[in-house]
Order: sequence, then structure tokens, then C-alpha cells
Amino acid sequence: MKHRGRLVALAAGTCVLSIYPAFADEYHLTVLRDALLFGLFAVSLDFFWGSTGILSFGHATFFGLGGYVMTLVTMTSGLPAPSVLGLFAAVGAPAALAAIVGYFLLFGGVRGSFFTIVTLALSVIAQQLVISWSSVTGGDTGLLGVPPLALGGYEISGAMATYIVVAVTLIVVLLALRALEQSRWGKILIAIGDNEVRAAALGHNAPARLTLTFVISAAVAGFAGGLYVAIAGVVAPDLIGLLLSTEVIVWVAIGGRGTLLGPVVGAVLVQRAQQEISSMNPSLWPLILGCTFVIIVFVAPDGVMSIAERSRMLLRRRSA
Amino acid sequence: MEAAVTTLLNALTLIGILSLVGLGLTISFGLMNVTNLAHGEFLTVGAYAVYFTQSFGGSYWLGLVTAPLAAAIVGCALEWLILRHLYEKPIAAILATWGASLVIQQSLELVFGLGGKPVLPPVQGALDLSVAAYPAYRILLICIAAIALGLVLVLVRRTSFGLDIRTVIQNRTMAEAVGINTRRVYAIAFAFGAGVAGLAGALVSPLTTVLPQMGVGYLANAFFVVIVGGAGSVAGLIAGSTFIGGLTSVLNYQMSPSLVQAIVLLVAILIVRVRPNGLLSTAGALR
Repeated sequence: MKHRGRLVALAAGTCVLSIYPAFADEYHLTVLRDALLFGLFAVSLDFFWGSTGILSFGHATFFGLGGYVMTLVTMTSGLPAPSVLGLFAAVGAPAALAAIVGYFLLFGGVRGSFFTIVTLALSVIAQQLVISWSSVTGGDTGLLGVPPLALGGYEISGAMATYIVVAVTLIVVLLALRALEQSRWGKILIAIGDNEVRAAALGHNAPARLTLTFVISAAVAGFAGGLYVAIAGVVAPDLIGLLLSTEVIVWVAIGGRGTLLGPVVGAVLVQRAQQEISSMNPSLWPLILGCTFVIIVFVAPDGVMSIAERSRMLLRRRSA
Repeated sequence: MEAAVTTLLNALTLIGILSLVGLGLTISFGLMNVTNLAHGEFLTVGAYAVYFTQSFGGSYWLGLVTAPLAAAIVGCALEWLILRHLYEKPIAAILATWGASLVIQQSLELVFGLGGKPVLPPVQGALDLSVAAYPAYRILLICIAAIALGLVLVLVRRTSFGLDIRTVIQNRTMAEAVGINTRRVYAIAFAFGAGVAGLAGALVSPLTTVLPQMGVGYLANAFFVVIVGGAGSVAGLIAGSTFIGGLTSVLNYQMSPSLVQAIVLLVAILIVRVRPNGLLSTAGALR
């Protein structure tokens, strides 16, 4: 029942995304496109956090790493099909980093808060490295003029084309991750999250499963980062920093952890709110972001979407 | 010889600060099982308290007294308003304390305005140590930090409140069964840890510019200290600080600070892999 509801929601979302260009001007189309890219990033975090219950506080490390790797590959002249190579690297490098971190932490028995803290530190340090290694990364200002996506000689630029690429990518990734979550794989992850010792006793290699999930999550985040810099044309240290790492947590928490689609909705709504508030007073946003964190924890621990679900259950109980 | 002495004294400065900041973290980690991401802000509040005192013509020494008090009050408020509701929900506590840290940072910026604030040290100039000259204030800092840590050790090992803390860390349920009010122990210990971090903030304030975001950098390092040393033990805290502070100071002599940070993190991760419960892993009570 619940799963069919989510499939209906995904179908409805797909309809909205395909109708939207008919009503929106070019500016609003690019705004939604960028929000959807961050939504894809939020989905990657949700895939790990939602299915394992372990929170990564430094997920922007993978998003930003994908962005920087994409930039460096596509800006190297003389490569055949630079966009394709770049995207492969933008997926591969974060996946490799996640594999290393996962091997040391998850196989070392590090769970819960400790994992969260080490990933937080990872994000802080990644940002520092990017800022100080300015000969390669452009330092504080980042790098301008990242070439747009190109496939077989055709350049994908312009609001409409990039919007379509992003929307289609997002839907495909959502369907793929959903299928993965509902497969045997996802069920074993739930078992590990519920009781790791028992799952291990049943013969499941918990650290290996968790690490591979972390790697997939990082790969999707890197892919989102690679797409983002190619479409935006710039890469800067705030794509890898702690603030983005925390913002993505808010998107997932507001949209609803473990729903995959919810984080996309959360990302779009929160970024809309952020633009409104920042246009009034730029220093107000961090204050409101902070309050949001505290309020979510007390009011809607399972996300804003869960309020709707809970009230529906309440109504049903009353009518029964 | 001169370089060695300077590096050693730099290391001692850093070790002192890291131990004081890490104390509150090791308390909230080891005692309450809570990850407090707003802990860096206690240091910031302490630093601002000194700036505030000096801006009214007060001396540095008065600031050194008000800083721990201000930080302890903020710590009390945080525990009472947010944390005490979240002891059973570790991830919710992480999110809420991170939110609180953003709120505290922005409030400080709104009240005191943008930009760094200067704090004057109580003593100027360098002290001649025959092999090398070293800033007099830093030597003072090392002494104050050492005295404060000594007092903490006495408190934990020799007082009845310290006994309560150690009991709760060893076995929470049993501690409640023998009549210890764990909630009260949590609240007091948390405020105490916040106050000590505020003291650390007052001590570092003359060495840097006072900024609303200054706590974040110390937070990351203090977490390494607790992870490497093992949560809930003063001995582990000092071992962790010595390791992180020593490594950072020695490497700082050779390469750029952010590269040093990256290397220290890598080594910390390696240590976690080999010794998941910390360097002195006999786990358990505050010793």
C-alpha cells in the first residue's frame, strides 16, 4: 500500500516535471534545474542514511570531489569525449574515496556518532585542501569556464536541453535506487540496521554491505556534482564544504528520510525558501537554517512528508 | 636546539588548549552518549566574553573569570532546552546541536557585528629561556592550562561528584539503582564541560582574532582528540591531545596547515581502524 503510494507520487512528480517547461520562462526553468541537481545529491545521501540509519555528515565531500574531478578532466585539452570521461571520473573518484573511508571505518566497527564525526571532519578538511591547493583548484574563487556537456560533437547547453537531461537523469536514478532498495539487497540492509549482530549471525557480511552502499551513495553524489559543474560552468569551494554537507541533511530530513523521492521535494522547497529569505537579508539564512534543524528534530523527526502520512492514518482510524 | 624547544612549547600550547576543549566532548560522549556539535561555540562564547569585558575597560584577568561562567550558562541553557529531551536519540541530538551551533554563531554576529575582534594579552613580549626566546603569554597559557587540568583530575578522582560521574559512565542503570540522580549529574557535568571550553576560548583569544566561526576548527580537532584517546577518560583525553597536538606541531614546522590537517585526520582514521576504543583502550571509567 505504502509502496504503491510512493510509485504514484513518483509518477505525479514525473508529470509535473514534464509539464513545467510549458509554463515557465527560461529563468525559472534553470532555477528548478539547479534545485533538481541538488535534489539528486540529496537522493544519494538518503540512499545511505535512509537504508542503513548511519548519518554521513560530510556528503558534500563526494559531491564536490565529483565537481572538481569533472572540471579538471574536461578542462584538459586533447582528450577524446571529455564529458563522458569526466563523468566517469566524477563517479569513480568519490566511489574510490568512499571505499577507502568505508574500509577503515565500517570494517573497523565504527558506527553511529563516530562515523558521523569522522565524515564531518572529512568535509572540513576537503574544503581546506581545495582552498589551499590553489594552483590546481583555483583556491577561494574556484575555476570558471567549465566546458558544457558534449556528446558525440553535440553540445548540450541552453536552459531547455540541460533541464531535460537533469530531469531524465533524476528519474532514472530514482527508479534504479528504488529497485535496489526493494530488492533482497535493501531488505538485508534493513535487517543490518535493525540488529547488525543478528544479521551477521544469519551469515550476512554487514561491513561489506554497508561499505558497498556507501560507495554507491558517494558515486551518485559525485555524478550529481559532475553534472552540476558542467551545467553551471563554475566550480567553487562551497560545493565541497561543511555548509553544503549540512544543508543536504536538512533537505533529506525535511523531505523524509528513507523515501528517496521526499529529499527531492525537500531540496526544491528549501532552496526556494532560501532564495526568498536571502534576498531579504543574507545573514538571516544561517539563523533560520539552524532553527529549522532544531524544529525538525522536535516536530517532524521523520520529515515533513510524514506529517501528511500520520494525519491520514489518524483520519482512517477515526473513520473506522 | 632552538627549533626543538620552540616546537615543544608550541606543542604544549596546543595540547593544553585541545585538552581543555576536549574535556567537555569526552564528558558528553562518554557520560551522556551525546554528540554535541555546538561544543565549539562554548569556546567562541568564552573568547567573546573576554573581548566584551575588555571593551568595557575590564582587565584580561576579569575576562578569564567571566568566560567560563558565560560558557557554562550557555551550556546549561543548551542542555535544559534541547539536549535533555534527546538523550535516547543520538542522531536527533547531532542535528539539533548543529542547529544550535548555527544559531549561536549568527546571534554573536548580530550582536557584535561582522569581522574579527582583537583581545589584548595580559603580558607582552618574549621570555628568554636561554636556548630560545618564547612569547611570555604562551608560557602563561601553558601554565594556566596545566593547573586547570590538574584541578579537573582532582575533581574527577577525589570528590564525591567525580565519583558520581565515574559511576554513571561505568554503568548507568546501576548508578540509578544506587540512588544517583543521573539527569542532575548530566546537567552539571555538561555545564562544567562547557565552562572549561569557555576557559580554553579565553586562553586562545589573545593569540587569534575572535570570530563567530572560530569554534568550528577547534571542534573538528577536539573530536579527533576524543576519538583517538577514547571517550570518557581523562587519561585518554590527555593521550589524545598529546598525540594530535604533538603531531600537528611537528608537521606544522614542515608544511602548510591544511595539509597537516589532512594528514592528522588520516592518521586518526588509521588509529580508529586499529584501536576502535582509543589509544588507551581498556574502556570504561574516567580515570
